[in-house]
Amino acid sequence: MNNFKKVSLMTISTLIGASALGASVSIVPAFAKSHVAHRSASVVKLQETGSTLLFPLFQLWVPAYKKVAPSVQITPSGTGSGTGIQQASDGTVQIGASDAYMSAAQLQTTPGILNIPLAISAQQVMYHIPGVSKKVHLKLTGNILAQIYTGKIRYWNDPQIAKLNKGVKLPHNAIVPIHRQDASGDTFLFTQFLTDTNANWSQTVQYGTSVSWPSVPGALGAQGNQGVVQTAVNTPNSVAYVGISWLDQGLQHGLGEAMLQNKAGKFLLPNNNTIKSAAGAMIGKTPKDERISLIYAPGKNSYPIINYEYAIVNQKQANPATANAVKKLLDWAISPSGGNKAVFMQKVHFLPLPASIQPLSKAQINKIHG
Amino acid sequence: MLNARIRSRIFQVAAGIAAVSPLLVLLFVAGVLVMDAWPAFKFQGFSFFTGITWNMGNMYASNPIVHNGVEGAPGATFGILPFIVGTIGSSLIAMMIAVPISLLSAFALVYKIPPRYARWISSAVELLAGIPSVVFGLWGMVVLAPIVANQIGPWLTHFGKVLPFLAGPVGSGFGLLTSGIVLAVMVIPIITATSRDLIAQVPKLPIEGAQALGMTTFESIRHITFPMVRRGVIGAIILGWGRALGETMAVLMVSGNATNYLPTNLYSPISTMASTVAALLDGALTDFSKLSIHALALIAVTLLVITMITNLLARLLVQLGRRDVGTEA
Repeated sequence: MNNFKKVSLMTISTLIGASALGASVSIVPAFAKSHVAHRSASVVKLQETGSTLLFPLFQLWVPAYKKVAPSVQITPSGTGSGTGIQQASDGTVQIGASDAYMSAAQLQTTPGILNIPLAISAQQVMYHIPGVSKKVHLKLTGNILAQIYTGKIRYWNDPQIAKLNKGVKLPHNAIVPIHRQDASGDTFLFTQFLTDTNANWSQTVQYGTSVSWPSVPGALGAQGNQGVVQTAVNTPNSVAYVGISWLDQGLQHGLGEAMLQNKAGKFLLPNNNTIKSAAGAMIGKTPKDERISLIYAPGKNSYPIINYEYAIVNQKQANPATANAVKKLLDWAISPSGGNKAVFMQKVHFLPLPASIQPLSKAQINKIHG
Repeated sequence: MLNARIRSRIFQVAAGIAAVSPLLVLLFVAGVLVMDAWPAFKFQGFSFFTGITWNMGNMYASNPIVHNGVEGAPGATFGILPFIVGTIGSSLIAMMIAVPISLLSAFALVYKIPPRYARWISSAVELLAGIPSVVFGLWGMVVLAPIVANQIGPWLTHFGKVLPFLAGPVGSGFGLLTSGIVLAVMVIPIITATSRDLIAQVPKLPIEGAQALGMTTFESIRHITFPMVRRGVIGAIILGWGRALGETMAVLMVSGNATNYLPTNLYSPISTMASTVAALLDGALTDFSKLSIHALALIAVTLLVITMITNLLARLLVQLGRRDVGTEA
């Protein structure tokens, strides 16, 4: 009877398939490279991937840009900022989207990569607490959130939370912190906020697109902003950080939106005014390469978690035609009469790129060549 | 026209290449993986398998640390015990659910259900095997997780006094039990279809003889059919187990992706090795020191080794079983 032998051989090969994931690290980008930037006749194909916070905006842009430049085909996808940075760096895609700028160490390993802000975005904290009315906006601080995510605050009726939210009946239920499992710009923004507001966090976990989350029993990880919203909706007593382009989605599904304490001590929701105020306080410091954190801005009316949304682009594109198409697309994207138009921005709650930052982004776009 | 001898030669060579290719692929994959994984093992040592903290380090720092001659991001430390426990735990739960259901349905399909219905059920089972795992994942996430959180979990906690592992809290429904159930649903068609084919091959004559002697269906299966197909059935179970150990996408969506802690009860969030490799790959690729990628490769090597061990164990069991029975043809 060699049925068994046959079967076990099949088992081995099935599992190798699964384990080969590790090996395909070096194979996949090489394979993808060959057919991506390829162009037929005068049609130029551009691939965009990365941030799930920027993705809804790209989905709005693609049909609109089709009217501006019919010969350019854009394929956007929301895969997480980590993937965006990686695939733009190795040339798999022409445009990577990221809510996080690249680190100096990353730039050293991939010289010639540009971090070009396209708009200003924000992030809110959302929660799902049974019994707390949706009209109430819980007041939370970065310090409290850091303690929740390190497991020091375990219950919703913790004295620290109750003190800030007098009149709200908080249940004695264990908090379920939700974090992003994939490498994410949202994680980068959130952990920067916690780093700025909690001393213990700034020395242990620190910040990044992917951090080592402290061990909190029951804590969950989810993929992409859509996964975070879905998990929070499914999970009573959860708390999560969500990119602002997913705010409407979260509210529609019954999640609550927290007011966060800013540097001046005021509790604010993210909206046009509070994001604008925070941007006004920070953008003056923007350096030439535009890599800067806008988190925890000073000012009474400044919302604490805002950021530049970046296009991660290699200066050297595969050929002049592709380079031109990328330049034109980015120029259109940051233009107040193009992609930065209010119709697009309002739908995802973004702020257009401030006029004083336009020339900096333009100068970077001009560096792109074939 | 080629003459017969040359054609036969070509056939021999082609068949030979095809025959050794699985071995070559295995060696190639294992070789590449081990080479890729080596720096991580050098960096971390055996604590890689016993540690519970997975930290790819601060990738926004610009001062790499060097440990045992390997460069990593500051704070980097790699321990995969929670992933090993999650992988083995979820696949064992899956097998505990899937094996009895699959075997009973395989026997029923061959002996009990009238052929005109059995044909329909058989094709349904085969269809189930062809559904992409992401569909099972979505079903697990949207439908099953709330049921586990609100119905199955709370009911199982009643047994918590006898088996402390079943005690609450039940949590969100994303975790060990939900992963196990999703895996079981994915594995059942594999075990059922394979064992059904084996059982159908058992000669009719001995069974008819047994029934003529007055044995019940259960007795004839117990004493005639099962001993004849036992080894094949164990093979089918191992095949299913292999699928459960390596399943990635569906588990990623329902496991809760626990980081840095071990499961405390049946409902705790977990992570498996395969799902961790998939989930952390994009983050690891942005590690300027490249150490995180090597660490993920080392997870893949570990998974490969665990699968081989389960395979060898199963072979050993079969051989021991054969010695005991001694009556099989």
